[in-house]
Amino acid sequence: MKTIAAALFAFAALLAPPALAEGEATWASIRPDIFGEKPIDEEAVVGLTAPARAEDAALVPIDLHVALPEGDARRVVALTLIVDENPSPVVASFSLGQGRRAFDLSTRIRVNSYSFVRAVAETDDGKLHMVRAFVKAAGGCSAPAVKDPQDAKANLGKMRFRVFSGTGRDEAQVQIRHPNNSGLQMDQVTRLYTPAWFVQHLTVRQGDEVIFAMEGGISISEDPTFRFTYRADGRPVSVEAKDTEGNVFRQQFAGNGDG
Amino acid sequence: MRRLALSLALCAGLAFPARAEAPPEPADYRQDDYRAPTPATLAGATVVTTAEAAQLWHEGKTVFVDVLPHAPRPAELPAGTLWHDPPHRTIEKAAWLPEVGRGALAPETEAYFRAGLEALTGGDKARPLLVFCKRDCWMSWNAGKRAVAYGYSHVYWYPEGVEGWADAGLPMTDAEPRP
Repeated sequence: MKTIAAALFAFAALLAPPALAEGEATWASIRPDIFGEKPIDEEAVVGLTAPARAEDAALVPIDLHVALPEGDARRVVALTLIVDENPSPVVASFSLGQGRRAFDLSTRIRVNSYSFVRAVAETDDGKLHMVRAFVKAAGGCSAPAVKDPQDAKANLGKMRFRVFSGTGRDEAQVQIRHPNNSGLQMDQVTRLYTPAWFVQHLTVRQGDEVIFAMEGGISISEDPTFRFTYRADGRPVSVEAKDTEGNVFRQQFAGNGDG
Repeated sequence: MRRLALSLALCAGLAFPARAEAPPEPADYRQDDYRAPTPATLAGATVVTTAEAAQLWHEGKTVFVDVLPHAPRPAELPAGTLWHDPPHRTIEKAAWLPEVGRGALAPETEAYFRAGLEALTGGDKARPLLVFCKRDCWMSWNAGKRAVAYGYSHVYWYPEGVEGWADAGLPMTDAEPRP
């Protein structure tokens, strides 16, 4: 019944081409390009929270929760985030420092049409584990930037680091000001597609230790933002980002989030 | 909710009445929100149903032009970036000229449209042209209006587009944008 209701909604949304019936077809076609023939199981080492229906397809919140069961000594070393139906399906690949048994990571992404969103976790035994959620959103990759281009250039690469320990959660957030142009947005002045321009590499360190690093694509939203498990321990936090034009942005913050 | 009701009717295979909510023709090109109900008319052009479009297609004298927009793979993507671009199904033998139905065109897009039409019609402005994209898509309306403004004297606008064609089981093919 749920499927029928979902299918009816898919019909109702004129902008949402891939019918649910296609289901896994796109995944089957892109999977070998991403992971080769390596088996992927559905062991629950990572959770994925995504809105069933996104309010803003250009800013879809995605939460990943690494949680290995008690007594399981493995660690998760990498997470790949995928939106099947996006023109560039691989949203980002994250590597997790020394590997993690428990780690939360949230970001905001663009969803171009109704699609499965998947997270594939790699454990330190080399195995891959997948979780997925269906998101109803359309037009996220072509939606115009929210920020004025001049303003975006003036603030390019500026970073913010916030610590949420005051709220009782061991979390921090990094934001980098960057238009992260997808290449699929129309420039309202030139009436042509705005060239793709986005944060390609990002590394967040606590002292010398990498908390996480990312290889990102055009499906990460404007002003890339990452919220992650973090405990202040006196060491400074440094953030380094590089975009597709070769611009490098670096900033260091006090570990408690003060400046 | 209304859309849902219409869709339910479609799903159930029921006939539904002609769109009651067709807006009047604007004086100028539609500039945004392209996926929305379109007018019932296009000044200077002839609106055709699927059956009429099929007849023109079988007669073989009319140039069919699909104007569905299409973003190419951004040239700036790092080498090796996976790009997933499923084939676009269109009416068999139609030419696909993406982007030419937007509200305002870059000079190069305008030149592309003019040159495309000229080549497809052999420079004969009296040659019949049929413009389409999808249902409820103002881009085909805009492009039809533009072709009329270019001086084409026999422009057909087919608002049901690829979806109406496909629903009727008429011949379709994978398309590549005209270079």
